[in-house]
Amino acid sequence: MPKPLQDEPKQSSYEKMLQECLKGELRVVNAGLPQSQKRQSKENKLFYLLNEQYPHVVCNDGSTHLFKKSELEYLAGILDTDEQKSLSLPMLIELGANKAEATIICEGEAEEKVISKALNMPVTCKERRIRIYKPQLTLLRRKLKTTTVYVFSPKIVA
Amino acid sequence: MPELIKVRPTKIELVKLKRRLFLAQRVQKIIKDRLSILTMEFLQTARDTVEAKRKLLDESSKLYKALSIAAGYHGYIAMEKELIATEADLKVTAGSRNIAGVRIPSFELMDKGKPVRGYNLVDTSSWLDRAAQLSEECLKAIVELAELQRNFELLAMEINRTKRITNALEYIVIPGLQATINYLNMKFEERDREEKARLKRVKVLVARG
Repeated sequence: MPKPLQDEPKQSSYEKMLQECLKGELRVVNAGLPQSQKRQSKENKLFYLLNEQYPHVVCNDGSTHLFKKSELEYLAGILDTDEQKSLSLPMLIELGANKAEATIICEGEAEEKVISKALNMPVTCKERRIRIYKPQLTLLRRKLKTTTVYVFSPKIVA
Repeated sequence: MPELIKVRPTKIELVKLKRRLFLAQRVQKIIKDRLSILTMEFLQTARDTVEAKRKLLDESSKLYKALSIAAGYHGYIAMEKELIATEADLKVTAGSRNIAGVRIPSFELMDKGKPVRGYNLVDTSSWLDRAAQLSEECLKAIVELAELQRNFELLAMEINRTKRITNALEYIVIPGLQATINYLNMKFEERDREEKARLKRVKVLVARG
């Protein structure tokens, strides 16, 4: 007996494979992000990480992301105590759609100050984002290797 | 010439193929973005590795010179006697971090702050202090180089893997889908034209009759 017509045609195995590939890639590239529910928690703040013996955060995939103490001390040298308490680590870098520029997700003035000091130039935060160009991104990653991570958002990818 | 996918020439198949193409292009976009990040990191790591290697070689050559001078000043036996007490456990913090989906190791030499060297400062000269200081710097450079070199290898492997996926999508999957969509479009146009010609012929026959 023929099956009744469906509004949405059933996905073929090929489509499923591509969909899984897409999901898998997004999962893999974002595996290094700190767990979302803990992003705003106290343990992720610079002030508390400085006092830990092995400063780290737990990532989405359950693994740990270790921060270098030398980098944390560099950040601590830039910020005062209140700013240290407000700076969540790692800082997130979003790659722009045109690949020529990147944006840093900025939750407060602390990020702005750190980026400005690391790049040795003034930066402005618009709509909670700091826009920088690729050469500056290279410079930033060189200085802050463990305290910054890349984030891929499906919104940009689409 | 891209290979055509074997499908039935129906409109439903065409819709499915278009959806597949959209998905494949999205996957390709993510992978290309990832590849660009990995390449950028790889180049940076390569530059850092070269720099770290050069630094290590410089430090080593300075260290050997300083050690030779210290050995000449104190004599081998006296220096060895002093250095026996300096043996200490090395503490390295090892962890991992993630760059665009690649887990790479991260090493850091635990700095105890004020260096406490085990030898007697009264019986030894500043030559030995200099050699000890240089050896500490050399140790730091070795740890840094170990991390960079491993990162370099891991990033290279991941770039190779990602490039293969990108190439497969760019040169096989997407062209195949596009060619099949074009083929189906042409087939439908051809069918339309045939239909029109048939209708005209029927119209002529009806008009004659």
